[in-house]
Amino acid sequence: MDIKSTPPPPPHQITNPSRRAFLAWAAASPSKPMLAFHFLRSLSRIQGVTPVRRRTRTIRRAAYSSMARAASPRRAWSRALLGQARARRSRTLTGRALLLRRRVTAAAPAPPSSPAARSARIIAAGGETSAAARPLPPRQVGDPPRADALRRLVPGGAGMEYCSLLEETADYLRSLRAQVQLMQGLVDLFSCQ
Amino acid sequence: MSSRRSRSRQSGSSRITDEQISDLVSKLQDLLPEARLRSNDRMPSSRVLQETCDYIRNLHREVDDLSERLSELLATSDMSSAQAAIIRSLLM
Repeated sequence: MDIKSTPPPPPHQITNPSRRAFLAWAAASPSKPMLAFHFLRSLSRIQGVTPVRRRTRTIRRAAYSSMARAASPRRAWSRALLGQARARRSRTLTGRALLLRRRVTAAAPAPPSSPAARSARIIAAGGETSAAARPLPPRQVGDPPRADALRRLVPGGAGMEYCSLLEETADYLRSLRAQVQLMQGLVDLFSCQ
Repeated sequence: MSSRRSRSRQSGSSRITDEQISDLVSKLQDLLPEARLRSNDRMPSSRVLQETCDYIRNLHREVDDLSERLSELLATSDMSSAQAAIIRSLLM
């Protein structure tokens, strides 16, 4: 006899509470459906194409790209994120160069899921480039304390005036929060299936 | 058209006043997660910047974790029909 008191909910029904919560979230603001659309489209492409070991990284990049696509192109942070994604794609190696790189990394000891590599990814997550690849932005004259930390966290923050930095930060923060809510909602949704 | 509250007209580059900056800082403070607990008390701007940096770092970390969970879910569940249903209901 099954000790569970309730059977799992039937999939794809509109009475699914996670589904209702998700749709309520999407209706809360005009930009959220587009955010969800971009991200879901990327997810289905990832599911079909990306090998399993690279999925986490690819999903994370898709999250930032979707955020940037759903945002207004007037926003410097959104342009910066899309520019970084473009630069990364053009740096992608093809053919023989890729084969050689694979041989080199196969010999290296550190696995991608090690804590050190993971924390390095987290630190770089905001701008999606490693600290070694991009020089730290020079401290701007007249910046209040801790503004330089903010410049490192907000994409494209390095060259801005302090006033613009504050505006961009607010917008970036709102978009980032919406993206996290979206991903959490999707996790809830797909966990129920 | 002097609707700006600028009291001092600096010669040269910026007409940005302290008032505008503190206005932006208070908008940032309202975005922070415990904004409602602090009601309308203004924090010093250095504190606001510090908390904003911490909040952004937290959100980055959450994106990482959620990416990992989504990656696992992608592997185990059949999402395509659920996704199609969601997209349909979103765009209707």
